[in-house]
Amino acid sequence: MTAPFLEVENLHVHFAGRSRLFRSAMPTVKAVNGISFAIEPHRTFGLVGESGSGKSTVARAVLQLTDVTAGTIRLDGADVTRVPREAELAFRKRVQAVLQDPYSSLNQVHQVRTIVGDGITRHFGIKPGPEREQRILALLDEVGLAGEFLDRYPYEMSGGQRQRVSIARALAVEPGLIIADEATSALDVSIQSQVINVLRRVQADTGVAFLFIGHDLDVVRHVSDDVGVMYLGYLVEQGGADGVYDLPAHPYTEMLIASVPVPDPAAQAERRALRQTFKKDTEPPSPSDLPVGCPFANRCPVAMDICTELMPEATAARHGGHVRCHLHTSGPVLAGESVVPYIRSASTAR
Amino acid sequence: MSDASTAVAVSAPQPVQAARARSGFWMRLFRNPLTVAAAVWVTLLLLAWLWPGLLAPHDPYAGDVTLTRTFEGPSWDHWLGTDGQGRDLYSRVVFGARFAVNSILIAMVVAIGLGVPLGLFSGWRGGRADRVVMWVNDVLFSLPIVLLAMAVIIILEPSLPSAMLGVGIAMATRFVRLTRAVTLAEKEELYVDAARITGLSPPAILRRYITPNLLPSLIVQVAIISGAVILIGATLSFLGIGAKLDDPDWGVMLARARFDFRLEGIWQIVPAGGALVLTVLAFNLLGDGIRDSLGRDAASSSLTVPRKVALPPVVQLHASGAVLSIRDLAVGFPAPGGMVNRVLSDVSLEVFPGETLGVVGESGSGKSMTMLAALGLTPAPGYLSQGSVSFDGREVTFLPEQEWQEIRGRDIGMIFQEPVAALNPALRVGRQLMQSLLVHTDMSKSQARARAAELLAEVQVPDPERRLDQYPHEFSGGMAQRVGIAMALACEPKLLIADEPTTALDVTVQGQTLDLMAEVQQRHGMAVILITHDLGVIADAADRVLVMYAGQVVETASVSTLFSRPRHPYTRALLDTMPQSHRGHGDLPVIGGVVPSAAAWPDGCRFAPRCEFATDQCRTSVPLLEAVGTDLVRCVRHAEFEFGPHAETSA
Ligand SMILES: Nc1ncnc2c1ncn2[C@@H]1O[C@H](COP(=O)(O)OP(=O)(O)O)[C@@H](O)[C@H]1O
Ligand code: SF4
Ligand code: SF4
Ligand SMILES: [Mg+2]
Repeated sequence: MTAPFLEVENLHVHFAGRSRLFRSAMPTVKAVNGISFAIEPHRTFGLVGESGSGKSTVARAVLQLTDVTAGTIRLDGADVTRVPREAELAFRKRVQAVLQDPYSSLNQVHQVRTIVGDGITRHFGIKPGPEREQRILALLDEVGLAGEFLDRYPYEMSGGQRQRVSIARALAVEPGLIIADEATSALDVSIQSQVINVLRRVQADTGVAFLFIGHDLDVVRHVSDDVGVMYLGYLVEQGGADGVYDLPAHPYTEMLIASVPVPDPAAQAERRALRQTFKKDTEPPSPSDLPVGCPFANRCPVAMDICTELMPEATAARHGGHVRCHLHTSGPVLAGESVVPYIRSASTAR
Repeated sequence: MSDASTAVAVSAPQPVQAARARSGFWMRLFRNPLTVAAAVWVTLLLLAWLWPGLLAPHDPYAGDVTLTRTFEGPSWDHWLGTDGQGRDLYSRVVFGARFAVNSILIAMVVAIGLGVPLGLFSGWRGGRADRVVMWVNDVLFSLPIVLLAMAVIIILEPSLPSAMLGVGIAMATRFVRLTRAVTLAEKEELYVDAARITGLSPPAILRRYITPNLLPSLIVQVAIISGAVILIGATLSFLGIGAKLDDPDWGVMLARARFDFRLEGIWQIVPAGGALVLTVLAFNLLGDGIRDSLGRDAASSSLTVPRKVALPPVVQLHASGAVLSIRDLAVGFPAPGGMVNRVLSDVSLEVFPGETLGVVGESGSGKSMTMLAALGLTPAPGYLSQGSVSFDGREVTFLPEQEWQEIRGRDIGMIFQEPVAALNPALRVGRQLMQSLLVHTDMSKSQARARAAELLAEVQVPDPERRLDQYPHEFSGGMAQRVGIAMALACEPKLLIADEPTTALDVTVQGQTLDLMAEVQQRHGMAVILITHDLGVIADAADRVLVMYAGQVVETASVSTLFSRPRHPYTRALLDTMPQSHRGHGDLPVIGGVVPSAAAWPDGCRFAPRCEFATDQCRTSVPLLEAVGTDLVRCVRHAEFEFGPHAETSA
């Protein structure tokens, strides 16, 4: 097994809530609460969860765009939890990102040439000229855009074309890791599959590691080797992508799967029945007021008394990863098996 | 993949449009005759500044030594007359441009030189630095401008440049505010994060990314402040603390009209005052003109809209019993060069009570436009160019807006994509729910409030009584969408139109929202039109489906037929691209290219450039809807295809 390129260990990110207006202390927002994962070169780790579950905060912490409260981030074995200013440029060359909104993540005033070329000039010292032009053309080709796009402005391109430009911009510095935060979420399905294919090919060609963030487990599973399911800043389940998808051990993972509608009326009728076993009118607790026990307890159809009293520890799951749920530690011990049959029988018993 | 990339490269006629948008700025700017006049005046001013001798026939300082031709009115020798020393007033006015433009230059260099960097710094750094800068700035901002100018004059010497230095400092506070506001807004944009990730330093980001976005508002501000600077300069000169008493400065000339103690001297007010007023006016008009021409929306307002053509109603076309029936609807948008883009053509649909009609297609295919046009809401400058719409058995194609408003609020409920944005942020949710009840029914206030609480309970918002008194920002996206559904239900509509109601929501909340809509429909028995780009949502909620592509309906079928036996290659391809259709991790099938923009739709089948089955017959004729049972399909070759349910491909 190759050494991981990115290692995140016990990461915590808390935002001190301070009101500008009144200078009074506000409750701390606990956005990320002790998560760990690693990504090897050539591999993709998928992070999935509802909005507000902390996925983007993990990305921003790794990208040095937000301060880490506790924990360690390592790149190729070296600590990069807090990169000093003089080392920032070297760090930027190794970690790049493709951000969610294809409209606001490109500056309207620059042509594709500048958007993609900036990184080449900054990191390889190649000034605008024929050599840089050649490199930009090669990058555009890699993401499936013709040379005529060199002179385009962002407002002259569709969403899918813009995301390709974002990918080319990230590739320009030849990074070891690309973080794709909801990079395909705003696109039409047909365009989403084009962009996903581009990402796959880029990985095959360059061996770059991907951290792929999304809210649609079907998409995340498709592009990822491993996935982590986030809920309120916790990784409640993680493991191989197919394993987690086929044998979900956490009720929340099952809720996510049941929620994505499939383009097949018969199969969807089944998914709909499953999703209806979950509570309809409860919302996740606030990240500034976390419950003592399991954070999912108020929405969980199979919650037990212990769930509101004690935070479940991570236990090994049948799919080879782990899960944080009392069904696997105390109560009806599922011992890492899939929770799906249990939820079904519980819901029909009611 | 390679065919997809070439297709992308081929389709996309946009650069021409972009070039047009850029040159369009000047066209829009000079469309307004007032702006043209202002530009001419400012050009004259600049000419007078550069080569006053060219425009002025006399020396502005040399008077008539004999003092015989003083205080003259306009004459052939002196177009605007003479002053108390017999100097030519026209020439003095021309030379006055020197002082005016110099004043602007000094003040603007100081104002921009100080204000923009400080604003950038303050906005970018934020925190304590920002607070200190803004505190000092606000204090200076609140002082009268003339006072600041006098302070500088006292420290330095009484001259126009030092007065303008003071004015510049005062005006800098305006630029600090503007620049900081723009910086604060741009700083939050994702592209700034992207620039940091690329490794650009903060000064580089400020210079290359934020400043260009600042420029448009800066230019407008410069034009308007220039007018103010000239006025203040003249005031200072008038007060005797600006230009010297001998100078042909407009303010000094005004002052002389007073100091000359002769009734005839009053005439001097006219040339100097006129030049002053016209210059200030010109700068303001120019500023307004630039501002009006800069906006993106301004581009469309310049196009002319053809008159609506009223068509004879063709009621017999409509299916009886349908809640909403649309026949052969077409919508045109005027395009540059007198062209018309037909963004919709031959769109027909009907929806019956208790039924959910799903409308699916990629963005830009015309789903929302169909609904807007059918409900009399075609956005300007678009117009209905053909077709007939009947609602509840009544012909409504060209209903007057007033009558439409009644129908829309009462008989048709609408739900939108951005649930929070669809609510008025300044009004409590309860008030918004009550509004349509009070307008469309004869309920009293207390009855309406009770009904509003009932509605919230019906859409399963917990604690409805308390929620009524909250503002929209206190609602999560999912809860806000429930409020949206409650509002749509308020008057028991016959038709509910939901335009991408779950697209902005989390998948878990999407499921809950779909369940809620189904429940509500069952209880009230209304017809629902559900617009979405997600075939999964269609499979979940629709009874019948309409697939749209490039402004046309390409297939209609019952939901089970559509998924088990899609007939149109586009429907087939859409199904294939969904990741849910694939178990493995291999490449996903793609539809090469993008939906072309309306200006570039091909003559034959509009899907032909992206269709793998296209032959010559698809490119020459426009295939019409053909019946297959009750299902319709727009494809000349559909009978040859035997598409099964999508295959589970795995790699
Ligand atoms: N700068 C910040 N200050 C305070 N709270 C924040 C900040 N950034 C994110 N949060 C909060 O942290 C939580 C996690 O957010 P985020 O990481 O954006 O979630 P996701 O990407 O999964 O949607 C949310 O409750 C969010 O409001
Ligand atoms: S720990 Fe309890 S509440 Fe939490 S997911 Fe497991 S069963 Fe549900
Ligand atoms: S008409 Fe021709 S090009 Fe159009 S969808 Fe049918 S086969 Fe394809
Ligand atoms: Mg996010």
